[in-house]
Amino acid sequence: MRMLGVFEKGERIRHIGHLDIQRSFQRGLRRSGLPVAYSNGFNPHILITFASALSTGACGRREILDVTMASGVSEAEFLERMNRAMPPELQLSAARAVDDRHPSLMGMLCAASYEIVLRDPDCAEKLIPAIPAMMAKESVTATRKTKTAVKECDIRPLIYVLEGSGQSIFATLALTEREACKPGMLMEALSREAGLDREIRTLVIRKELLGKDEEGKLVPLEQL
Amino acid sequence: MDYNERMEKILEKVQKAPRYTGGEMNTTIKRWEECPLHFGFCFPDTYEVGMSHLGMKILYGLINREPWSLCERFFMPWTDMIELMKAEELPLLSMESRRPLSDFDVIGFTLQYEMSYSNILAMMDLGGVPLENKDRGENDPIVVAGGPCAFNPEPLADFIDAFMIGDGEDVMTELNRVILERKEKGLTRAECLRNLAALEGVYVPSLYDVEYDDSGVITAFRPNCGEAPAVIRKRVVTDLNQTYYPEEIPVPYTEVVFDRIMLEIMRGCTRGCRFCQAGMLYRPVRERSMEKLIDLAEKLYRSTGYEEISLSSLSSGDYSCLPELIRELMRRLKDQRVSISLPSLRIDSVLKESLEETQQVKKTSLTFAPEAGTQRMRDVINKGVTEEDLLEKVRDAFEGGWSSVKLYFMDGLPTETTEDLDGIADLARKVVEEYFRVPKEKRAKGLRVTVSASTFVPKPFTPFQWDAQNTIPEIIGKQDHLKKVLNIKGVHFNWHEPYLSFLEACFARGDRRIGAVLKRAYEKGCILDGWTETFRFDTWMEAFRECGLDPAFYANRVRDPEEILPWDHIDSGITKAFLLREKKKSEQALTTKDCRQGCNGCGLQRWKGVCGYANAGSV
Ligand code: SF4
Repeated sequence: MRMLGVFEKGERIRHIGHLDIQRSFQRGLRRSGLPVAYSNGFNPHILITFASALSTGACGRREILDVTMASGVSEAEFLERMNRAMPPELQLSAARAVDDRHPSLMGMLCAASYEIVLRDPDCAEKLIPAIPAMMAKESVTATRKTKTAVKECDIRPLIYVLEGSGQSIFATLALTEREACKPGMLMEALSREAGLDREIRTLVIRKELLGKDEEGKLVPLEQL
Repeated sequence: MDYNERMEKILEKVQKAPRYTGGEMNTTIKRWEECPLHFGFCFPDTYEVGMSHLGMKILYGLINREPWSLCERFFMPWTDMIELMKAEELPLLSMESRRPLSDFDVIGFTLQYEMSYSNILAMMDLGGVPLENKDRGENDPIVVAGGPCAFNPEPLADFIDAFMIGDGEDVMTELNRVILERKEKGLTRAECLRNLAALEGVYVPSLYDVEYDDSGVITAFRPNCGEAPAVIRKRVVTDLNQTYYPEEIPVPYTEVVFDRIMLEIMRGCTRGCRFCQAGMLYRPVRERSMEKLIDLAEKLYRSTGYEEISLSSLSSGDYSCLPELIRELMRRLKDQRVSISLPSLRIDSVLKESLEETQQVKKTSLTFAPEAGTQRMRDVINKGVTEEDLLEKVRDAFEGGWSSVKLYFMDGLPTETTEDLDGIADLARKVVEEYFRVPKEKRAKGLRVTVSASTFVPKPFTPFQWDAQNTIPEIIGKQDHLKKVLNIKGVHFNWHEPYLSFLEACFARGDRRIGAVLKRAYEKGCILDGWTETFRFDTWMEAFRECGLDPAFYANRVRDPEEILPWDHIDSGITKAFLLREKKKSEQALTTKDCRQGCNGCGLQRWKGVCGYANAGSV
């Protein structure tokens, strides 16, 4: 049996990297006393995966982890024991027991929705009005940085939703194992569109991880 | 903008932000208004070093446990953070509620090594606390300090209001009560300091006057008020089982130096190595019971989820029922995949049995500390280890599947000759031979013998407290020699440049006057001296010159046994008579037995009920 847990990565710890978050959950699971399964081998670790690594600097509202259990446990108990074992900045809001054959979350992941809070007050006035023009374009280039290279790519087909309101930009962006538009790439393109040529301070909040249901509609990943 | 917002802005730019974010598991955020006493615990080094320190975790839990006091942590920010903080005019903030250091009633520094002293000044400066105690007013915090370096408090006498000498567990609460009383009764700072001085084990330097002769040697040292005792006796916790030990400790998000449960199995050491300050300061030896340790280990595992428990003490191999303890811990925590490690294995007490058991779970590199290369030299320092012992343990280790061995030595020991240095190479060569003596199919691949040599620093309260440290050129010459003779296949040689050890020697046995050098060096930009990338030796030497002091006076001078030493008013329990006796014996390369074989009359036997071995009636 596997357990999917929906958790929040709080704003205070948004600079904690993915590896450290993973380790925190490893230790949290150990603290919880839940019947988790361990890998074999010399350095045994708990069998746990994450639907998607969240970048350093971003916080997440509904991130998802996937733990293999050694024996059965109820969703309510999992939730209760994990929340006692995890710090306030990494609390769970939902749990769902799934069969071992449940497909991998990573494979099902299609997109994510974001709120990008603009930290400099005059930015919103310039950026939000530029959205319609950018969305009307056939292609929008942005640079993607990988470990080894900086590549130009077209992000327009990867933007599913883009809106602005108040001090925030709301976006739904493609996120699969093959292709992804990172919020940073979007902001780079949008500020170019708006003619802003300075660095923009933002707070990236990943609100939801999305997969596609049978009709091809984007729905919360943990519900699939 | 409030502190939080400014901090968030900085965190976007700083390197290694996780050191500054806080919010770790098992940290305590109490309501400020509900606790009358606010204690700011300062570790004068980076987060990664500070969070590896057991003492901090003990006192953090201890202070927060009292309903009337809260404790929040402060660490030394790295240089990039300091620049950003200055640009944003952000003071040093606590990890918990992000309040500036100056908001706290009392701030406490832990003194683990001398080369963290400039960080103390930096942290106070960044935190808005006046550096010198004479400049602090009624609204400034009381600044206290404790830890091993507090046994020679004099170099910090201008900066620290009160020192806690000895074990901190009991005196901490007493000290906080006195400071709380000040707040409640509206006492002045001066009154509060006098009340602190009346506590056993507390030293308030401003209540003492010092006189020097022309050469800088102390001629008189006396209290200037009635509350201050002429001699400050260290605090000793006699029963570790009755003493507070945390059952929950903060678990950092980011990796720190020692990221594991540290279980202090005993305090003190009976061996009496003559170079070892800790071995003298932490006397007498006190063990925690096996039941207590097992209970603590299980509770700590449940509250932290750590994968590893290290049994910590100065000499864990001497713990009376070590194999039983390890076996029982492993039995109870095996299903949780917890490994057990022994950080400071003494080669003459490593039991083959426990070796095999540790290895079952995790095979790390084994560490041995012969400290010196020849038997004569080891006798001088009273390191009761023979070559046969060492080689036997090494053989066991190689047969048991280890292939990586670390050997620790010192250079610059009193009476050291070239022959003693060559002895280090001989020993390393013999260790390599032991490895090849194990049949190929039985031994693990990849032999790696790491030889580390550190430069000897004479420390207060050791028989070598009167001795001169080798000069820098002498040490460089010795290290060059070692590099040559240690050019052996399979052996890797590590050494450190002697500059830091030289400065450490100055401050370890420094007097009050050297405080001026510290302040000057800090003003000239010296901070984070323990880190090679930030250590600026030349600036330190300039600071000495500008203050008119000669560092060689502190590091390279042989002191007369009659001389008043800067730390003579601190009673560590060890008498000068004992240290002098030990010094004489060391000069003749005569050894002193382990206290477990009978009392050596170090001085602690004078204190009733303190040392279990002395009271066994063997004096
Ligand atoms: S009092 Fe005696 S037995 Fe105890 S530490 Fe001192 S010398 Fe050793």
